Amino acid sequence: MPAFTLSNNNINNNTKHMKKLIQHAMAAMLLLITILFFPSCDKEDTTPDNDQELITTVRITVSDGVAEPVSAQVQDLDGIGGNPPTIQELALQPNTGYTFSIAFLDEQNASAPVDITEEVAEESAEHLVCYLVNGNISEPVRTDQDSDGQPLGLEGTFQTGDTGTGTLTVILKHLPDKSGAEPCTTGETDVEVSFPVVIQ
Amino acid sequence: MASSKKTLRQVLWLMAMSWPLAQQAQPCTATLCGTVTADETGMPIPYAEVIVEELNLGVITDEEGKFHFHQLCDGVYNLVCRHIGCAHVARSVTVVGNTTVDFTLHHEAIPLQAITVTERATAPASMRAGAQLSGSRLDGVRGQAFGAALRQLPGVSVLQTGNNIVKPVVRGLHSSRLLILNGGVRLESQQWGTDHAPEIDPYAAEEIQVEYGAGSLRYGGDAIAGVMLVRPPALPTSGGWEGSWQSSVHGNGGIVSGGGHLAGKLSGPLPLAARIQGSFRRGGNIRTPDYWLENTGVREGSYAATVGMQRRKWQAELHFSQFLSDIGVFRGAHIGNLTDLQDALRRGRPLQDGDFSYGLSRPMQRVAHYLLKAAGSIETGEHSRLRLQYARQFNRRQEFDAHRRFGARPAGFSQPDMLFELTTHNLEAVWEHTQRYFLTGSTGVQATWQANTTDRGGLIPDHRSGAWGVFWVERWRKYPFPVEAELGLRYDSRSMDIARRGDTEIGRRLQFHNFSANTGLAYHVSDWWKIRLHAGTAWRPPAINELYSEGVHHGTASYETGNPGLSAEQSLSFGLVTDFRLGERISGNLSLYQNQLRNFIYLRPQEAPILTIRGAFPAFSYEQADVRMRGMEWKTVWQVYPPLSIATAGALVRAWNRDLRDWLVFMPADRIQQDVRWSPARRSPGHTTEPYVQVSVETVFRQRRVPAAQDYADPPGGYTLLHLEAGASASWRSKPLEAGIRIRNLTNSSYRDYLNRLRYFSDEAGRDLSVWCRIRFRREANE
Repeated sequence: MPAFTLSNNNINNNTKHMKKLIQHAMAAMLLLITILFFPSCDKEDTTPDNDQELITTVRITVSDGVAEPVSAQVQDLDGIGGNPPTIQELALQPNTGYTFSIAFLDEQNASAPVDITEEVAEESAEHLVCYLVNGNISEPVRTDQDSDGQPLGLEGTFQTGDTGTGTLTVILKHLPDKSGAEPCTTGETDVEVSFPVVIQ
Repeated sequence: MASSKKTLRQVLWLMAMSWPLAQQAQPCTATLCGTVTADETGMPIPYAEVIVEELNLGVITDEEGKFHFHQLCDGVYNLVCRHIGCAHVARSVTVVGNTTVDFTLHHEAIPLQAITVTERATAPASMRAGAQLSGSRLDGVRGQAFGAALRQLPGVSVLQTGNNIVKPVVRGLHSSRLLILNGGVRLESQQWGTDHAPEIDPYAAEEIQVEYGAGSLRYGGDAIAGVMLVRPPALPTSGGWEGSWQSSVHGNGGIVSGGGHLAGKLSGPLPLAARIQGSFRRGGNIRTPDYWLENTGVREGSYAATVGMQRRKWQAELHFSQFLSDIGVFRGAHIGNLTDLQDALRRGRPLQDGDFSYGLSRPMQRVAHYLLKAAGSIETGEHSRLRLQYARQFNRRQEFDAHRRFGARPAGFSQPDMLFELTTHNLEAVWEHTQRYFLTGSTGVQATWQANTTDRGGLIPDHRSGAWGVFWVERWRKYPFPVEAELGLRYDSRSMDIARRGDTEIGRRLQFHNFSANTGLAYHVSDWWKIRLHAGTAWRPPAINELYSEGVHHGTASYETGNPGLSAEQSLSFGLVTDFRLGERISGNLSLYQNQLRNFIYLRPQEAPILTIRGAFPAFSYEQADVRMRGMEWKTVWQVYPPLSIATAGALVRAWNRDLRDWLVFMPADRIQQDVRWSPARRSPGHTTEPYVQVSVETVFRQRRVPAAQDYADPPGGYTLLHLEAGASASWRSKPLEAGIRIRNLTNSSYRDYLNRLRYFSDEAGRDLSVWCRIRFRREANE
């Protein structure tokens, strides 16, 4: 360290000088480090940013081809938690064949609802709608296909039996393994809602 | 692989070389022991070095100032005793059979080094049970996550989310119940989650010490589980400069890591010392015996810089460090709802076999931690010092969900789904004294301000908190009186202002204050036996997540709700530790404890699930109960035959909810580890790694003490793993070079651990071969 090798006679003088220099250097360094590297984050005015779309509504519309189409919806406007979803009942005729379609909506902003069904249809190969039935309803048959010619399930048909009650569960899967034996047990669930069904 | 072969060859070579020495030493059975004490005070001096010159054999005195040499031949030896800041003492000693020799050292007026002595003297051996990790045991595990490195300590287990998110658990407790002090600063980050690992770089630590149970009043009144002290190396005290580089490579996951430092001190009139340190770690997908775990890689980097100056009466230091990490979360564990979890459990393994890749994708965590510290101390008397410290920490945690939300999502990592930012200021003033009326102690005041903002995701509300505390701890020892005593008191006050969650105002102010106390007794029954008794209280105000969390935890498909009505949690703990030495060959310690927790805060499952548009989620809410935790840890080392030793260590925890009359969930299972170690050569000064080969058998039993119907799957079965490690040191171009090799899970067995959250989805990592090496260099000042 040649810069600091000092001869004996001016050591005292230099020490004083050095001390001052060091003090200044350290203060400057502290300032530099603080300014350059330290991210500041005491800010008060943070507005939460949850602007991504969210499915708030699942609507099923069924038609027997004769009467006016009937629809029912499950809606949870405040997302997961908070208020529980409101669930409508699906009223069907006994022993009737139905075609149905499913719609997914984002209605967080009531004045400008977003139709997410379109996005599902656009990325159809990444999605699959699955069904679970309980009661006198046949297993729904998917009538639409994704871009690879595999089932999609936004549209389909089912048949009702005798009068009674049951449920129809609609599940939207993201990235399922459609080539597997049981594609509905794979992928990640985006939506899972159960419609109470009354056949009368 | 070339370097691993080389290491192995070195180990074998060293073993071969040292074999005749060990053989020759056989018929010699003499023992030489003694105590090193300070001339002025009569107090024992720990960490003094005693060397038998003829044998080039050195030992360091323990915390009682005691040293032992075993297996010596009868004869005359030159002994040298030295300690930093003291005059060296050399003496010729005749050893016949069992010989005792005591040394008395005189402190020299070397002011710069005397400071180091003070530092050691004010931290006498704890009355509580504990463990520490340093030297080659730490060197060999620096390439892993910080928490994983601690797994080898008895009494410490880990709560994992895969291989890279590893949270240390001490006696069954973790997170806000465990204080982590990094270089004397209490680590402040978003510790509430079970998937939030401590932001600490193992390469930056020289020693990690853990003290179990309540009673760390010096550091905080809320250390119910204990305290973990991470110590970086001190700034150099002599002129010149030195440095080191250590690297390690892990076969499983292709993890490459390295860390180095450079430190120096100016000689001459300006005693300015500095140290810079940096490290990195990069890893890819981990492999279980049967498949790869997708997206389990890691990218980590950290650096630190310290500048300091020591004068005769004062010392000052400025430190800055930054820790950055990107950690992938196993893709198969990120699920939509309970049905998905049940499907995964039925499958019993991930859907895809996966492949190796260094790439990281969603889900991912990105964490940045910054620390700025200014510390100083000044002599206030012959045996006392005032220390001042200010620290500012900033922790930013970003979580990137894979869970689908619709709408345009950027492909990269620019928009996290959750973003938490925590800023903490700590200020403390502590006055320490030694050797006054045989008392050593400290008293001080600490204050903390903290602000948390949640910019995205509404899991935790924005809040601020302020806390202050005063403490006083004293320890009495009148050497050679066999009993020493300790007493400590602390008062803490804490307030929290909870502002808002999202757009919803909460506007609540909470206040907590209480005392904590700590007392201990140590009885030195003989040179071979010491008993430590301890009782302590601690209390902890509820954490923000326990009060106000609200949301879904992906990965466990559960909906967690905070409880704003929680009160503070209180702990009363008792401990008994016995340290013993049976003859020359068996030594060990055993600790027993009981911890009574009043108003223990835990997650209790609720009867009705939360119904959402994504399906049903089991609901959990924070509640309080009286809990009793009991347990034990032990470690014994048996020197079977000089180079060969067998060590056994184990830990048990029993946690009982007295209100529900049921076990507590997620407590570590009983575990035992056996190490058979072959360490043929003797310690040579300056090299921390003695050549050794060690085979370890780690047995973890099945956790059978679980509450009824609180988990999605039964605890996994017990398992036994075989590990192998070896290490050695040598000289390379006259620089000390240390190297080692480790193989974890040698038999590549498939198993799952109860405390790994990925156990619902996949097996643990398979066989992992790793090699490490370190080189150190030093250049003295040109005078």
